[in-house]
Amino acid sequence: MLESLYIPFAALLFPGGLFALALGLTLKGFDRRLAARLQARVGPPLAQPIYDLVKLARKRTMVPDIANEPVFLGAPLVGAVSMALAAALVPIPGFYTPDPVLGDLLVLLYLLTVPAIVLMIAGSASGSPFGAIGFSREMAMMLAYEGPLVLVVAAVAMRTGMGMGGWISFSLTDIIAYQQTHGAFLLDPVMWPALLAFLAFYPANLGIIPFDIPEAETEVLEGPLLEYSGPALGLFKIMSALKAVVVLGLGVALFYPIAPEGAAGLLVQVAKMVLLMLIGVTVVRVSYGRMRIDQAFRFFLKWPLALSVISLAFVALV
Amino acid sequence: MTTLIQTLSNRVRNMASRSPWIYRINAGSCNGCDVECATTALIPRYDVERLGCQYCGSPRHADIVLITGPLTARVKDAVMRVYAEVPEPKVTVAVGVCPISGGIFRDGYAVHAPIDQHLPVDVNVPGCPPRPQAIIEGIAQAIAIWRERL
Repeated sequence: MLESLYIPFAALLFPGGLFALALGLTLKGFDRRLAARLQARVGPPLAQPIYDLVKLARKRTMVPDIANEPVFLGAPLVGAVSMALAAALVPIPGFYTPDPVLGDLLVLLYLLTVPAIVLMIAGSASGSPFGAIGFSREMAMMLAYEGPLVLVVAAVAMRTGMGMGGWISFSLTDIIAYQQTHGAFLLDPVMWPALLAFLAFYPANLGIIPFDIPEAETEVLEGPLLEYSGPALGLFKIMSALKAVVVLGLGVALFYPIAPEGAAGLLVQVAKMVLLMLIGVTVVRVSYGRMRIDQAFRFFLKWPLALSVISLAFVALV
Repeated sequence: MTTLIQTLSNRVRNMASRSPWIYRINAGSCNGCDVECATTALIPRYDVERLGCQYCGSPRHADIVLITGPLTARVKDAVMRVYAEVPEPKVTVAVGVCPISGGIFRDGYAVHAPIDQHLPVDVNVPGCPPRPQAIIEGIAQAIAIWRERL
């Protein structure tokens, strides 16, 4: 009985679903606040993302005449649910280890591609030309950043697997356990190229400057999101808040999962996520302007790809 | 019980009214008011984001519509169509003297001012162009009206 309740609990309440949503919205609040401070503004209150969601829930959803209605309204739901599930797969070192029944690192990687695919589907289902442009840009970005991401994860998995006497280990539990006994990969020079490549992946996956090209507000009017309003738009906001929790949690698990046991582990995890959000996302987005799609594509196929290949070679040879 | 529901719905309305997203429509303005709206009202010194405001690129995300310009014949259809795309509940703010009376273009053959003959205007912010403080004041009044409609 308890076993069968575990999966819905993990996906809906903790650590996926509600908990991840609250955490993600708080992270977004910190991000907007710090961005405003860095631009010498006062900035919105910390709870602003929550206010935005409440507001969107009270607005009307409009569906364009030429849109494919079931797909148009179903896409944000699929995105939000997939991210709630993915959040249940991210371990909190010292506090929560996902049950192997749910899946592991590889399932997480697959789930991480869903938001981009959902945005593409949403953009093309809306029937708007800006949505179509957003579609093609989203696809180009995905092709550019997925490769380095997989190589970075492979480097981490190989380092763990070889350290444990095998070859490669795609188990987050192993990766965390290995680092807790042998020291974090953050302090391991062999892994530094992979770390840099992973930091470049953040803004691209979370859709922020300099890589928010598919949703560029000033060029394609938020691309795939252009035609969305009210609760449907709110679901996309929920999806992106959950996605922030998932990728930040993944970064913590891959590179610095050192944490005390018990409730302190949860606090340390939240602190690490806030720090990573501020360094990896906020400072980056206020420091740079938006790239063009060809520049971003070339950037990803040059630096993060090269760095992750170098890291993989280091791991294999050292 | 009814008082509980009332306080709750009041709470929700209070929270919702702290997130007004702004959309600008240029109805044939000379760009003077747009410069005041876009740059002056949004530079660090005035920062409307502390009220929860956000400029959005799509009319479908908007709550508060800022309209500038005297509604020229050329853009009238487009303005009406874009205005209809903004989902309810919404509030309209007419920025500058042109939407109120037509301003210096008052008797022009290509001008359909005053704009409130064509769409419901809730707040007027006169001036040619209005000062940023006046625009912020107008937005604050619009938020108060919008709160009642939520």
